Amino acid sequence: MRRRTARPSVLRLPSARIAVAILALILFLAIFGSALAPQNPLAIDAGALYKGPSLHHLLGTDYLGRDVLSRLMAGTRLSVLTAVEAVGIGLVIGAPLGVATVFLGRWFDFTANRVADALMTLPSIFFAVAVTAALGNGLVQAMLPVGILLIPGFFRVTRAATLEFGRAQYVEAAELLGGSKLYVIRAHVLRKVLPTIAVTTAMSAAGALLAVSFLTFLGIGVQPPAPTWGGVLSSDLDYLNLAPWAPFIPGALIAITVGALNALADAYRDRAGAGTGALLSPVADPVIKTHSTLQALEAADDRQTAA
Amino acid sequence: MTGKPPHDEVLALEDLHVTVHDGAATAVRGASLSVAAGEIVGLVGESGSGKTLTCRAALGVLPKGCAVGRGTISFERQDVTDLPRRDWERLHGTGMGAVFQDPASYLNPNLTVGSQLAEVLRVKQRLSRRQAHRTSVELLAAVGLHRPDRVFHQIPAELSGGMLQRVMIAIAISCGPRLLIADEATTALDVTIQAEIIELLRDLRDQRGLAVLFVSHDLAVIRELCDRVVVFYAGEVVESGPVGEIIERPRHPYTQALLRVASVGDFQRRELQVIPGQPPRVGADIAGCRFAARCPAAIEACRSRAVSLAPLSPVHQARCVRVTDPELSAAASPGAAELAAR
Amino acid sequence: MAVAELTVAGGAPAAPRRHRARSAASRIGTGLAVLIPILVLSSFITYSLGALSNSNPAATILGQDSATPAAVAHLDQVLGLNKPLLVQYWDWLSQAVRGNLGVSYFTQIPVSQSIAQRLPVDLSIAIGAVILATAIGGTAGTVAAIRRGGWIDRGVTLACSAMSTLPAFVVGIILVVVFAVGAHWLPANGYVGPAGGVGPWLAHIILPSLALALPVAADVARQLRTSLVSVLEQNYITGARVRGLPYRRILVRHALRNAAGPALTVLGNDFPIMLAGAVAAEAVFSLPGLGQLLLEAAQTRDIPVVQGVLLVVSAFVIVINLLVNATLSLLYRSTDGVGA
Repeated sequence: MRRRTARPSVLRLPSARIAVAILALILFLAIFGSALAPQNPLAIDAGALYKGPSLHHLLGTDYLGRDVLSRLMAGTRLSVLTAVEAVGIGLVIGAPLGVATVFLGRWFDFTANRVADALMTLPSIFFAVAVTAALGNGLVQAMLPVGILLIPGFFRVTRAATLEFGRAQYVEAAELLGGSKLYVIRAHVLRKVLPTIAVTTAMSAAGALLAVSFLTFLGIGVQPPAPTWGGVLSSDLDYLNLAPWAPFIPGALIAITVGALNALADAYRDRAGAGTGALLSPVADPVIKTHSTLQALEAADDRQTAA
Repeated sequence: MTGKPPHDEVLALEDLHVTVHDGAATAVRGASLSVAAGEIVGLVGESGSGKTLTCRAALGVLPKGCAVGRGTISFERQDVTDLPRRDWERLHGTGMGAVFQDPASYLNPNLTVGSQLAEVLRVKQRLSRRQAHRTSVELLAAVGLHRPDRVFHQIPAELSGGMLQRVMIAIAISCGPRLLIADEATTALDVTIQAEIIELLRDLRDQRGLAVLFVSHDLAVIRELCDRVVVFYAGEVVESGPVGEIIERPRHPYTQALLRVASVGDFQRRELQVIPGQPPRVGADIAGCRFAARCPAAIEACRSRAVSLAPLSPVHQARCVRVTDPELSAAASPGAAELAAR
Repeated sequence: MAVAELTVAGGAPAAPRRHRARSAASRIGTGLAVLIPILVLSSFITYSLGALSNSNPAATILGQDSATPAAVAHLDQVLGLNKPLLVQYWDWLSQAVRGNLGVSYFTQIPVSQSIAQRLPVDLSIAIGAVILATAIGGTAGTVAAIRRGGWIDRGVTLACSAMSTLPAFVVGIILVVVFAVGAHWLPANGYVGPAGGVGPWLAHIILPSLALALPVAADVARQLRTSLVSVLEQNYITGARVRGLPYRRILVRHALRNAAGPALTVLGNDFPIMLAGAVAAEAVFSLPGLGQLLLEAAQTRDIPVVQGVLLVVSAFVIVINLLVNATLSLLYRSTDGVGA
């Protein structure tokens, strides 16, 4: 079967191209940042406390004389990779569950929805705090609740998308022709659900990054002096009188990355058509559509193939 | 019409032009009509003929992108064409009222109909809450609603179309306006309810001397209710005159065709009568008569230059080059007879 | 006189007001019935996190020297730590409903007391934030909708997009830098209760409230603008105009009333995010609130405190949800009138 990827046409939008470029840079830094940092992010220089930007220190120094640029570059790995891992958890567990729940019977679906509601009631930091209180302070412990709390988002979106496409005539036809449910899912439904997953991934990544920055800002999940974006931000707070400009640097870095992710999500959403990624609110329970007329089915299909 | 307007003239439109799409096209061209106190004037035409825009212009509530291009609108012999918003606010309700086609959509779905009626009384006539409530119930009774005290507390979704239209009429006349504009007020209603609303409007005219501008595409209703009728086609007035005259002796081919079409639905099986072709696009520029493309009686002269309204009598005019042609009037008879029989 | 209507369409059998009130009550009741299990489930999750941890609270309390197996076992029994999880949870929950949230492992101060002490701080900020978010978001959204396409509209839309990339703690920091450090207008940290004078109290809570309010205001403004634009195109707005009602009255009593619903829902949905922001605000502005209590307790692994604070937070969310639903029921008597 033909695999139609969404990527090439998304890049047609200039905003998406800029976003992808930024994200590629960030990803590059995440992998090679510590190696490429001009100076040792941990090197303390008592003689150069809170200096502004200079040739030697392109972004200035922090309260211990450490080079800010190097700290941020090295910190990219911790912050970004943690966020990526969290999104990974959400995606790997949430998306298949969302697709499966449509086929696994009403009781499972009902329970899963209630659990999703419960998980979406509280923002991630509270659970993250609870987890670190229970299991100790560490990056894994901080990342796990963030990841788990992303599961309901993926779950709901893929469930809604699967409901919409899973009832399509050609799926029924494929089943009638002898394909097992698994085959049908793999061959047809997944292909259509993929754009929705892409949007949710981008949006969840933005949220995860914000959450991770927040957690490291609060001192959860990080062991100083390891550099993280949020950690740099929080240490800047104590010395605002000396260097009021300082927090804007890591702040801008976070904002740019999050903005790029949001722009990418918007580009995907525009490309995939309205209706994808709009169902994350726990209050809006996706209505199970019973496609009783052929026209409704065909219309839904036409909308998607035209997108 | 030149000369001083008659003493009891309530509404007068003089050479009204209405542009749409921010002036890109002219949808209403040179419409002139007048309504006197106690008179019910019918406006008839198909969708897109410009009758709704004319109404909206007369009410001062043209939609976005539409504007009065040329001409004047007079209310009680005062020029209101370029009235500022605040003055229109004062005129609305106390001077002129309106009812529209889908009454449910013109009421706030989340408020009781009674509170919306009382609101008008409290704001425009400064009645106290209790007085407004009492007057509202009286008004609801006056328009023929059963158990008005209960209807007061109902939201629009709980009432039928006919009841809602009565509510709309009650609201429209609540502050004693001299003019009521009814835009397709009976179109969406059952025939029996239609008859009741028509009778209500007639009663209101008799009791209060209300002037009514009644827009419809249904000639039967117009014949039933109106004193005079104005026929619209493609943004122009093509014929106007007393209703009996227009029905029995229509002079414009379009009016004649409308009457012929109106005979559809009688008990004797007939061929479906239609007017072949489509009306011109809104605002299209056409040399000559705008109906010529579909007119069975069109001649060369019809297409060459613009046709103006020709007076056939002091009260009857038609926009046709062949208006005095005796052949035209003969073609009208079958339709008129059917209509009279209904 | 015309023939009177004898039948009522759709049938409101009892008096219309009572009938509508009953359906509204049942809607709120159903909402409650859905939310309570959610509360129970989330409190259970947080409870089990604490209970299933590898930490040995008895050992921690006793201290390293005195933590002999016998002493630990004894303390376990006293604290009820050797009962099955569900039983522990039930005990805790039934006590909590009565206001007894247990006692801190370390300070022996009743958890409810610690919470009560710090609650006013968060209440002040949270209520302030809700008021500010409604005021700022409501005004911005309304003006943007009325002058649709104008420069205000475009400015508001841009500001909202920018806001969504900035987490609450960054906004807070920006505010501190600009107003406290830069201009010295407002204090940069600390908290003064209303007992110490209304002026100083307001001065201390306004920046943190603003930091919480701005991201939510952005969401509210965006939603309100969309709903209001749609409502203003409806026929009943024209209907109100031809009745001669003044423009401002139409805007507030008809347009805003119907458009506010989705925006109110957004406010309710964003409330938990606001609470998370409160934790950030406490860090940025050094406020002695529940967030700080929570973080300290997490560091020292003082489980009862953590569980107690999380329960209170969840309860807050439930209450706000109820309030939002109740308000929506009041505003919207017709099921097809929501939003447009």
